Amino acid sequence: MIFEERQVEKNKFSLRAIFLFGLMGLGFMAVLIQVFSLQISGYSEYQLAALKNKNYSVPVQPLRGEIFDRNGRAIVRNESTFDLITKPNLIINIEIFLDQLTPVVNLSKVERSRYLKSYKEKAFVNKELVLKKDLSAEEIARFNVRSFQFKNAFIDKRYRRMSDYPKLFSHVLGYTSRSEDQYQTMPGIPTSHWRDAELIYANGSIHGKTGLEETHNDHLVGQYGRRVFEIDARGKLVQALEYFPPTNGLDLFTNLDIDAQKSAAKSIGNRKGAVVAIDLKSGGLNVLYSSPSYSINKLSNGLSVDEFQALISDSNKPFFNRALQGRYPPASTIKPAIAMYGLVNKIITWADQVDDPGFFTLPEDGRVYRGWKKGGHGQVDLRKALLVSSNTYFFSLAYQSNMNTLADHLASLGIGKKVCADCFDEDDVFVPSPAWKYKNSNIAWFKGDTVNIGVGQGYLLATPIQLAYYASIIATKGKFYTPSLTSKDNQDLKLEYLHNKEISQNDWSQMHHALTDVVESDYGTARSIRNLKKFQVAGKSGTAELVGLDSKEAYSELRDTESLRDHSIIILFGPMPNPQYAVSVVIENGESGGAVAGPVAIEVLKSLIND
Amino acid sequence: MINRFSKIYFDPYLFFSIFLISILGLFFLFSASNGDISIVFKQSMYVIFGFFLMILVSQPDPDLFRRTSFLFLIFSVFLLGITFLLGPEINGAQRWVRIGSFSFQSSELLKLALPIFLATFLGDKKLPIQPKEVFISLIVIVISFFLVARQPDLGTALIIALSGLFVLFLSGLSWSFIGGSSALLIISSPFLWNVLLQPFQRQRIATLFDPGSDPFGAGWNITQSKIAIGSGGLLGKGFGEGSQTQLNFLPETKTDFIFSVIGEEFGFLGVLLLLSIYFFILMRCFYLALSARDRFCRLVIGGLSLTFAANLIINLCMVVGLLPVVGMPLPFISKGGSSLMSLFFAFGIITSMGTHKKFLPQ
Repeated sequence: MIFEERQVEKNKFSLRAIFLFGLMGLGFMAVLIQVFSLQISGYSEYQLAALKNKNYSVPVQPLRGEIFDRNGRAIVRNESTFDLITKPNLIINIEIFLDQLTPVVNLSKVERSRYLKSYKEKAFVNKELVLKKDLSAEEIARFNVRSFQFKNAFIDKRYRRMSDYPKLFSHVLGYTSRSEDQYQTMPGIPTSHWRDAELIYANGSIHGKTGLEETHNDHLVGQYGRRVFEIDARGKLVQALEYFPPTNGLDLFTNLDIDAQKSAAKSIGNRKGAVVAIDLKSGGLNVLYSSPSYSINKLSNGLSVDEFQALISDSNKPFFNRALQGRYPPASTIKPAIAMYGLVNKIITWADQVDDPGFFTLPEDGRVYRGWKKGGHGQVDLRKALLVSSNTYFFSLAYQSNMNTLADHLASLGIGKKVCADCFDEDDVFVPSPAWKYKNSNIAWFKGDTVNIGVGQGYLLATPIQLAYYASIIATKGKFYTPSLTSKDNQDLKLEYLHNKEISQNDWSQMHHALTDVVESDYGTARSIRNLKKFQVAGKSGTAELVGLDSKEAYSELRDTESLRDHSIIILFGPMPNPQYAVSVVIENGESGGAVAGPVAIEVLKSLIND
Repeated sequence: MINRFSKIYFDPYLFFSIFLISILGLFFLFSASNGDISIVFKQSMYVIFGFFLMILVSQPDPDLFRRTSFLFLIFSVFLLGITFLLGPEINGAQRWVRIGSFSFQSSELLKLALPIFLATFLGDKKLPIQPKEVFISLIVIVISFFLVARQPDLGTALIIALSGLFVLFLSGLSWSFIGGSSALLIISSPFLWNVLLQPFQRQRIATLFDPGSDPFGAGWNITQSKIAIGSGGLLGKGFGEGSQTQLNFLPETKTDFIFSVIGEEFGFLGVLLLLSIYFFILMRCFYLALSARDRFCRLVIGGLSLTFAANLIINLCMVVGLLPVVGMPLPFISKGGSSLMSLFFAFGIITSMGTHKKFLPQ
């Protein structure tokens, strides 16, 4: 090649080399710009993505608050048990490991095969696995002396929700159960991480299902904490990074009284019924018992299907909370309320006399309403009518009443409303009124319906807690507190007044005297209980008829069937003359109110007053 | 400067920059292999051997390479043929040839032989080069491409084709031909897409444009690589501290995705330093090409250094998410003996071509 030609070639090469090397330079620029946009502009986004890759948060369960009675005695506790936990990733030979542990902690074949089924999966991701639950003290001791052999196993505390009085507070406390998705919405923790939650309760993530456990769940439950692990691409736990401890639930201090509740349960025995007692100074519910009962310990910590079936198919309905949901005719216990209506509306005075021939004849159609005593009580005034429980007097008073205003009056005494501030699933029942009857049955209200209500029968129904509430209003002469189970609001208790303020102090004090005489005088229908205690009490008993009958003879035939027998009811308050507690007792099919329900109420009052 | 040592042909700029990058590479590899010192040890053996190879290859006069270029090409093609017939199949591809206990990727040799052969073939032709010469060159390029592409190893095949095309372009291929064939390539691209590309390769290209569409499949690599680089920030997370790398979220950390490790652990500043060294090497090659003694040397330096640059940039673009995922190591840093040997061999040839001068004009 001649020199010029070489020069031309060299120039041409140079231009083309500049072009290609320039292209490569552009490639460098493109890469640099992209790296800049990733590392500088997009830094925070990618940093988050990298953290999200490697950080694995699991929820850590808090301890649930315990529940105490009004004297600070635990009703429900967190009882600790001990489990043997293993670290499968540190186990070299699984068979040898299990063989070594079998004599130490009495490993059963079932436990062994269950462990073998899942240990590999846990080992792969470095997670822990429970080998044996609920170790005995002996097993713990045996393991502890050999623990140096087992770097891959340790004993850890787990809790169980336990009550020392498993059947005493079942209905009022309720029970806890495992919650599948109750709390599985924690910010920063995806739902899938819940399967790795650190649970300190033996039966997992629990929440209140019924009773106080349910109504005060937010107070008791606490807040889940969080442990952050570093994981690798295959999901293996590499190390624990951060720990945000859980906030344990708060303890709950209730107005319940263990001793009084015990005496209620003991005196009811295995009869069906309910007891409610209210502390008049605060409205605190000291006793709330429904019989028959069941064990909350079993329900909270696992019940076999058969046991559960037996409970729900039991004809005595142990799950049914009679204290809050049982609807009973108040019978004669309503008479003080009717009397107050009569006094307020000037239908009667304390002095007015009525002749009681043993029955009342409805003027409209001549229908006869009978009293409980053949031949009647003769001339009765209001005090005597209350003492001897004269039906004729109250038939006559009801007959003169306006049902609409009488319904309002009953409603103000708790009929047809939820009276408890924090009870679980309380039944408000209903207020019987012409409007209610027409709406429900499309039938007009008869005068006879009002007459029946005068003796607490007919359409009138109330729950034991409504009766206790009503008793507390009379006991406090209308200055009462809303009943509640917990004392957390004790500071701002609100004194309530019966809206019917026209009841004079004189009427109130005459009423207290009359109701005291129901128990304490020689003529009172509840006099059979007056010698059971040292203090004086006031109250009114009743016998709720389940079947309307015209004669005693008909009833004695009926008696043979227990479930058709009359209910025995009493409301009591005492000690008189300055009452501190009001009690209501219903014994199903117990018959004569004063003699059957009365002793139960007295036992409860004694327990409350003597403490 | 160039001929400071009278008997040893040696370019200090290339030598020391490659030395620097190799040392850095060993550190990066240590971290990328989660601290596996045996991998680093093995790789450092390759590096030491590579430097000896580079110095050795630098010594002969460029005429030796010219005279043996055809033989070299035939030998490389022969090895590819042997690979095809006898090579073990690893991950569905036959890329390796085994001689005794020593095995290497036979396509790496072709990456050198093809540009040297074309430089020889075109180096003494009159300008402008004739259609017949262009045609012969293209035939050789296409044959080489298909030999490697069917292994299948599309990444290396593309690099080999590029190495030939670079030489053809530098030797004065007419612009009209370039324009015409580019148009043809664009028109036939749908055909190439369907016939040439394996389904997994098509998937890789598709995921490039939308890595989120398949985050745990083909898009996983790109997504994790971007997270690794992006989360490195300005200064990086520190040596051995990259969570993406150390916890194995990042795939292929020792080979194709080692740049992501560097980005994660040393940040933007680390990347800038690394790219500066690479750029310096390239610029030095550019200078050597322009100042080489004759056309053959210019074409060889140009062809080999541009091939190195293309290799580098394709790897970088792939890991930062600008190109689809193709198997392509980061030069001098990724683990692997074959590509390292071929790189040192290439830079030995570049040194030889850049440092041998003829003082008497022909």
